[in-house]
Amino acid sequence: MNKAKTKYLSAGVEVLFVVAIYLFWAIVYPHLLSYQEQNQLFLFSSDYFIHDISVAGGLADYISEFIVQFFYLPWLGAILLAGVYLAMQTLSWSVLKQRNCRLAFLYSFILPLLTLYFMGFIQFTMSYPVALCMALLMAWLSGKKSMIPDIVVIPLLYWTIGPLVWTYTLLRFVAKGWRYSPFVLVTLGSQLAAYYFLLPQYPLSEAMGGINYLQTPNLFVPGMQIGMAVILPLVIFSHQIFKNMRFPVVVIVAMLGIWLTTDSEVRGSIYDKSTFELLRQDYLIRNEKWNDIIANAEKFTVNTPFWSNSVNLALAQTGQLADRQFSFYQSGPNALVMASIRDNTSDFPSMEAFFRLGMVNSSLRYAHDLQESIVSGRKSGWLTKRIAECMIINGQYNPAIKHLNLLKKTIFYRAWACEAETLIQAGNDKSSIQQREKRINAHQVYGKLRRFRLKEDFLYNYGEMDKMFGLLFSGNVKNKMALDYFVAQVLLNGNMQLLQGALQCAQQYGGYYGMPAGYMDAVKCIQAKGDLPGSPYADYVARMRNQ
Amino acid sequence: MFRRYITYIFFAVLFAACTSAPEDAVKVNKTPKIYPDYVDVTIPVDIAPMDFCIGSSTDDEPREMYVMAKGSKGGEIIGKGEYADFDIDEWHELTRQNRGGDIIFTVYAESAPSSSKWIQYKDFRMHVSNYKLDDYGVTYRRIPPGYEVGGNIGIYQRDIHSFDETAMLTESAVVGQCFNCHTPNRTDPRQFTAQVRGEGGGTLIQINGKQEWIDTKTDSTKAAGSYAYWHPDGRYVAYAANSVHQSFFTGTKKPIEVYHKFSNIIVYDTRTHELLLDPALETPGSLEIFPAFSADGKTLYYSTSDACDVPREYLKVKCSVCAIGFDAKTGKFGSKVDTLLNGKKDNMSYVQVRPSYDGRWMIYVRCSRSNFPIVQPDADLWIMDMKTHQVREMKEINSRRTESYHNWSSNSRWLVFSSKRDDGMYTKLYFTCIGNDGRGTKPFLLPQRNPRKYYMEMFDAYNVPDFTKTKVEFDSHEAIRKIKDQKRTTVKIR
Repeated sequence: MNKAKTKYLSAGVEVLFVVAIYLFWAIVYPHLLSYQEQNQLFLFSSDYFIHDISVAGGLADYISEFIVQFFYLPWLGAILLAGVYLAMQTLSWSVLKQRNCRLAFLYSFILPLLTLYFMGFIQFTMSYPVALCMALLMAWLSGKKSMIPDIVVIPLLYWTIGPLVWTYTLLRFVAKGWRYSPFVLVTLGSQLAAYYFLLPQYPLSEAMGGINYLQTPNLFVPGMQIGMAVILPLVIFSHQIFKNMRFPVVVIVAMLGIWLTTDSEVRGSIYDKSTFELLRQDYLIRNEKWNDIIANAEKFTVNTPFWSNSVNLALAQTGQLADRQFSFYQSGPNALVMASIRDNTSDFPSMEAFFRLGMVNSSLRYAHDLQESIVSGRKSGWLTKRIAECMIINGQYNPAIKHLNLLKKTIFYRAWACEAETLIQAGNDKSSIQQREKRINAHQVYGKLRRFRLKEDFLYNYGEMDKMFGLLFSGNVKNKMALDYFVAQVLLNGNMQLLQGALQCAQQYGGYYGMPAGYMDAVKCIQAKGDLPGSPYADYVARMRNQ
Repeated sequence: MFRRYITYIFFAVLFAACTSAPEDAVKVNKTPKIYPDYVDVTIPVDIAPMDFCIGSSTDDEPREMYVMAKGSKGGEIIGKGEYADFDIDEWHELTRQNRGGDIIFTVYAESAPSSSKWIQYKDFRMHVSNYKLDDYGVTYRRIPPGYEVGGNIGIYQRDIHSFDETAMLTESAVVGQCFNCHTPNRTDPRQFTAQVRGEGGGTLIQINGKQEWIDTKTDSTKAAGSYAYWHPDGRYVAYAANSVHQSFFTGTKKPIEVYHKFSNIIVYDTRTHELLLDPALETPGSLEIFPAFSADGKTLYYSTSDACDVPREYLKVKCSVCAIGFDAKTGKFGSKVDTLLNGKKDNMSYVQVRPSYDGRWMIYVRCSRSNFPIVQPDADLWIMDMKTHQVREMKEINSRRTESYHNWSSNSRWLVFSSKRDDGMYTKLYFTCIGNDGRGTKPFLLPQRNPRKYYMEMFDAYNVPDFTKTKVEFDSHEAIRKIKDQKRTTVKIR
């Protein structure tokens, strides 16, 4: 009766746990899943598989990338993620029971909880929990069986899951006892041999600490990479030594140790509010949920250019920029688009803004640099798609086809890639080339952006963004977003000489019945020489003056 | 017994069916459109198999092929499948047998993907040069073509007699850093230099396997050295100490303009760790760049242009090619500077001179402006006869798109160069044979197994290609350690 009760209780706890995990990732923080997905591009091809398994830990990478591709739909990604957590908990429990560890069920949640914690660190990749599950699986399958096959198993396991092979080795150690000690040397030897012979392009730190466990190579988070690898064997070992231990002292001490050995900067960034909001904006931009961006911005401000870029883009897309720009935090002259920053995230709103404005070359450049800033060398589905679109608009069809061919090997981008390929297909004859141009020019988005593109070819100058927006607008007065951005940039720069002309353009071409509230406020502020209490524009000007 | 014979006959027929040319193929009187375009190219003996596909580089569905390659002096091999897949050993033997002759290709292909009907095309030829290409292969940098972020850069070496490519140094080794300008001494990798930029960067000099990392920045030299060129005696290396920048276009014709805000030429003495400077090579108001020593080492060639307010005046950058004497014994430069090609007068820009190692020719790049020609669509290769100093455009190897960055093979008979002729964006490597008259043969693209698939899935541009006489022995682990420890040999000014 007690056993049955315990069994149902355990199952109930597991179900609750899985549901909680699912709800967290599907509802609370789906944008982190989206961020993970946009930093990779899983391909269904043998070349991609071979590429992945050609480094230590590659099979775990491959499986994790397979899972992460489904983060494209966060609800689906959350289901799979919950499955990974459940697998980790179940395997932990099986391994602990196998090694006669007391409080096995309770301890089986250690690794999933630590995974949940470290997943809040945006550098964390799914390779780590997948590798951990594989190590646990192998440890469970090996149980207390003979040690001899481990001479082969350990090197193979190192190559497939990376340095988390140590979890396997230590779990086998606590199962087999001190006679298993030589296999500690086998594990170390496997890593060193692989480093020397098979990993010429990787430093020793990555051969020992993991190549793809984190987004940034050479980044080392000891609490995660060492702490999570050894905690379960440590707990089992401590229960073997202190047989009467009832209170999970070791677990508490170990978890505390993991937390303390994690760099304070890393700790501070885990689930921090600013990162949360910025990733949410990134996710909302990607899904074109402009009203949601504005609604969130009304509740929480992050004083960064990224935040300003996102909010201004959303305001422009909903026709509110002229009225409400300065009702939200403006970071300065870079509040509409940022000067390019060499990382894999900051330029996203600017890239999207450039694209919608019709500054296709600039969008292509930002998209390219964002993609090349993924330090693991991976491609991004979203960025590859955007690059292909820019190339189509620019008439660079052969390079576009390269990118489309890549996307055709995916699940979620394939349909779009096939459609795009049909759009740009043409033979060598004049007639079919002309047909192609007609199709693209008639396309709702690409045709419009072709007409919006800058007619003159000049060198981009970030310091003259206002003039570039002005030229863009004058090239096609139907480009309302260019008009909005032109006036907005002039206001951000405080360029009074251009302001009058800009406002005249807004009056003539903006389609407004009366002057937008934001422009009116700016004009009043200028007339009052900045002394206009309650004026959002006056607040902005004062802040810029103080800076 | 009878059953066994029937089985044998069955398999014999089956085997014959698999290896014989398609019957009932309809003959057409035109050569096939193949990718890469290897029709009438001239190849060296023992080059990697010149595999090719039917159709263009972007065809989605492949057409099955059956290709017979027959030597004019003997030998015949078959290649078949989605691409003409020749066995390496058989191919090498065929080229050896037909040195100085031709290989004639008879191509059968499906009339359409998965069709049962076959076409037999008119035969085409590849010519096998009398001039050998014994160098092991080529080295190059692979880099995503583009903008400000280098991305997944890597320096590779490729055996041109097979399809083997190995990485020498990749981004996984030196995360977030840029590296390039790997330069052997006249294809001999026992002397080798390269540059790593960014945190912990430095200039690598490797001599007989020993790595030395130096910092060429001093009070008198404004930047680290790049665009290296070795003196033939292997003691000196010439660099350009410069700063390179990019600007970007808003229209659609060109994505990028690259320029230098300053550039001077420095020569490094690897024996004494000294930098040799000369006022003629660091003229105020001028930029000196892309040095190259003559074959006998007595002359240093370089490009020079007036300093302009770049990027605003990017159209005014016009480089001339100059020459200054150099005495390797004393490490001193001559007092006179000769102008070989006057960019200002011609309203053109001449850069990247490369004298052949036998001293007979000099090939350089000509474009309408700029001292960074790989981004100029009108960049073309020109050749100077070093006996007569006559110049001409190498129309036989140029295309409508960029040709740039070229280097000679060790016997000065073959040239490798970068070209964007394929799609205008992704630079690829081409080879041509230079005859006694200075004319190049029709260039051929670096061969690959299944070339259409390979190049379709290649998202890197190839640049800075150079021949390497032997396989480069490079300890990347040691390079990683040295980059990390940041210990650099300090250089002095002589």
